[in-house]
Amino acid sequence: MSRIFQQWVEEYQDQAWSLARYLLKDAAEAEDVCQESFVKLWREQDSIDHAKVKAWLMKVTRNGCLDRIRRRKPSEELGDWQMADPAGEPQHGAERFELGQWLQQAIARLGEPYQSLVLLRDVQQNSYEEVAETLELSLPQVKVYLHRARKQLRESLAEVRP
Amino acid sequence: MTEKPDFDDWEEQINALLDGELDDAGAGRLKAAAGEDHQLSQAIIEAYQLQRALANIPTERAPDSLRRKLAAIPALEARRGARQQKPGGGWWQQSWQVPRWAAAMAAIPLVLVAVNQTTDWLGPKEPSAAEIAQAQQELAVALSYLGKVSRRTGLEIGDTVNHEMHKTVNENMMQAIHEELEFNKEREL
Repeated sequence: MSRIFQQWVEEYQDQAWSLARYLLKDAAEAEDVCQESFVKLWREQDSIDHAKVKAWLMKVTRNGCLDRIRRRKPSEELGDWQMADPAGEPQHGAERFELGQWLQQAIARLGEPYQSLVLLRDVQQNSYEEVAETLELSLPQVKVYLHRARKQLRESLAEVRP
Repeated sequence: MTEKPDFDDWEEQINALLDGELDDAGAGRLKAAAGEDHQLSQAIIEAYQLQRALANIPTERAPDSLRRKLAAIPALEARRGARQQKPGGGWWQQSWQVPRWAAAMAAIPLVLVAVNQTTDWLGPKEPSAAEIAQAQQELAVALSYLGKVSRRTGLEIGDTVNHEMHKTVNENMMQAIHEELEFNKEREL
């Protein structure tokens, strides 16, 4: 059991962390939520369909983030979050980095579930089925909401483009 | 008169195209429409660019501190599980199963009874200072034995209980002895 759990950790820790970072915009809180999610995964691994572990984990992580956001006081709203600088990754040119940074901030400004939808589907490239499972939405709902989210992003992008 | 296409309908088609869910016929219609409608062709281009940009956002690597915590979960949880699943239940049940504990525990009331009975048998003259001293010594031996047993079990909490037990039994014992002494003094007067 430990081996398969370690495999899940290896495969999903970055995605869970990335989702938590986007939603919470706070590294310490994101780390706590991720740790709690993986502890839950360890404790409930026998009752989880192993084919759906990723969706289960992302759902638990997202719910953990939303719980924390709900508990925040209005004064605790965090400012604009900066993406990790991909320095050292030569394929990222300055222009691409700027666009990525702008996009991340645009995503962060989307409400829920649009933010999670864009992250899970368009950034992390999960399947529609996994996204639907994670967000506890039907497939048609996922498509409709994602459509709206992409449209919002495109409109925002059009505003800043020359 | 040609009806102007509903842009929301085209938006849906664009999304389907991006997700690879638009059939050839649909893709052909969209392409033909985009050839005649600059706004639509621009929307398709922007949608593609956006999609590519989103897919190129790197997934941020989890920090090393988190990686270490996650890697440690199986060991920590196994330790936690072992603590909870010890046969016989909690530490106190295990402790009671140690025969030496039972023997030592049995020794305390025996000493107490012995002191009380000694006082009864002796009637108005009991107990003597020597007898009280002996009872105290026996009690000390019993409690010391109890302490050793506790340490052998390696349970910290057991030590705490023993300490409390020592204290309580000592207090009761000393109170009983003190009352006897006071009683005897009064009788002698």
